[in-house]
Amino acid sequence: MAAEGGARPGMRRLHMLYADSLRVARCAALDQLLEAFEADLHLYTATASPDLTFLHAGVVGWKGRAIVVPGSSFSGKTTLVREMLCLGATYYSDEFAVVDNSGLVHPFARPLGIREEGSHAQTKHSAERLGAPSGVRPLPVGMAVICEYKAGARWQPTPLSRGQGALELLANSVAIRSQSRQTLIRVHRLAKQALFFRGARGEAREAAASILNLSSEPGRLETE
Amino acid sequence: MTEGEFPLARVDCLSRDFDDEVLIYDPQRHEGHCLNSTAAAVWKLCDGNSNPSQIAEVLSRRFSARVDQQVVELTLEQLANVHLLAEAEAPAKAPSRRVAIRRIGMAAAIALPLITSIVAPTPANAATCLHGGQPCSTGAQCCSGICVLGRCFLGDRRKPGAKIRSSGVRDWSASGGTR
Repeated sequence: MAAEGGARPGMRRLHMLYADSLRVARCAALDQLLEAFEADLHLYTATASPDLTFLHAGVVGWKGRAIVVPGSSFSGKTTLVREMLCLGATYYSDEFAVVDNSGLVHPFARPLGIREEGSHAQTKHSAERLGAPSGVRPLPVGMAVICEYKAGARWQPTPLSRGQGALELLANSVAIRSQSRQTLIRVHRLAKQALFFRGARGEAREAAASILNLSSEPGRLETE
Repeated sequence: MTEGEFPLARVDCLSRDFDDEVLIYDPQRHEGHCLNSTAAAVWKLCDGNSNPSQIAEVLSRRFSARVDQQVVELTLEQLANVHLLAEAEAPAKAPSRRVAIRRIGMAAAIALPLITSIVAPTPANAATCLHGGQPCSTGAQCCSGICVLGRCFLGDRRKPGAKIRSSGVRDWSASGGTR
């Protein structure tokens, strides 16, 4: 419920957002309130969905398989996803990898929240505006890449065991505490069919190109 | 762990096998663990009826190579540290990990035990947090963890899914590296 405050002289008018009796946001600008509403709705969906597990991750489709980039806020997921889209990947999400009981990843193709350089503020860009199609059907995961931005780092991914990779996915699972059993089962099914890599990245474009190449021939790095 | 003690793996943890690794979720402590092959093999043999010496014997037969009892004791110490064993009333003091590793040395026929652990994130931790200046009502919504006068404070102090510990024993035999 959103409600406006009173308009008495000398008083500020504020927009209020409540979820039941819990106040979610209080702000002067309506668009900020709507952003908070959207974020809260997404979080509720991710937490309450009984049939799907939501992992905090960016996802693109590439040659019939999904590439999942799990990571926390500010780890550079969206930047990496955007660069992969520019190189021809299909957009699935910059926020959640939505995993079903078979371990397939479904699209959660909200507009990309791109942060301007040097700012925390996000602007929304649709995948179509970036020239990329959005995925519509669930995909098996070909690869999951655990990476973090580090200024000046050279992208040199190293393979990660499936167990270690699955642990990274658990660390980014929204409902692991409340839906432990289902989450573990779905992450296990996802991870059984995926390869995992880890590395620090510098420029997103270099890493994006390397990840797509790696996804095309994953055995190359595995056997090195 | 002494000869008279019979380690028992906790039965309330959820687990899944990945080849020879095991992924474990502890629903009581909200922690996740990945056990490498050695740690997983020992954990599975913690049935409350076998002491460290007997576990070492079983592993030696399974791996067709002599598995030192100290490897088992080191693994049990690590498993106890991450609370994957049923609590003993008065746990025996295990030998220092450093001493044990030195004793085991390069002669280990199997990979040394390695346990990697994380703290499971809360829903708010696992989702995108609000950055500085965005409207908030509680600190949990903010990346900084601080909500002041309805706005998130700048900064990022939360570590969703942060690794809390690794057993600190590198898998030298698997990587072929030297100490």
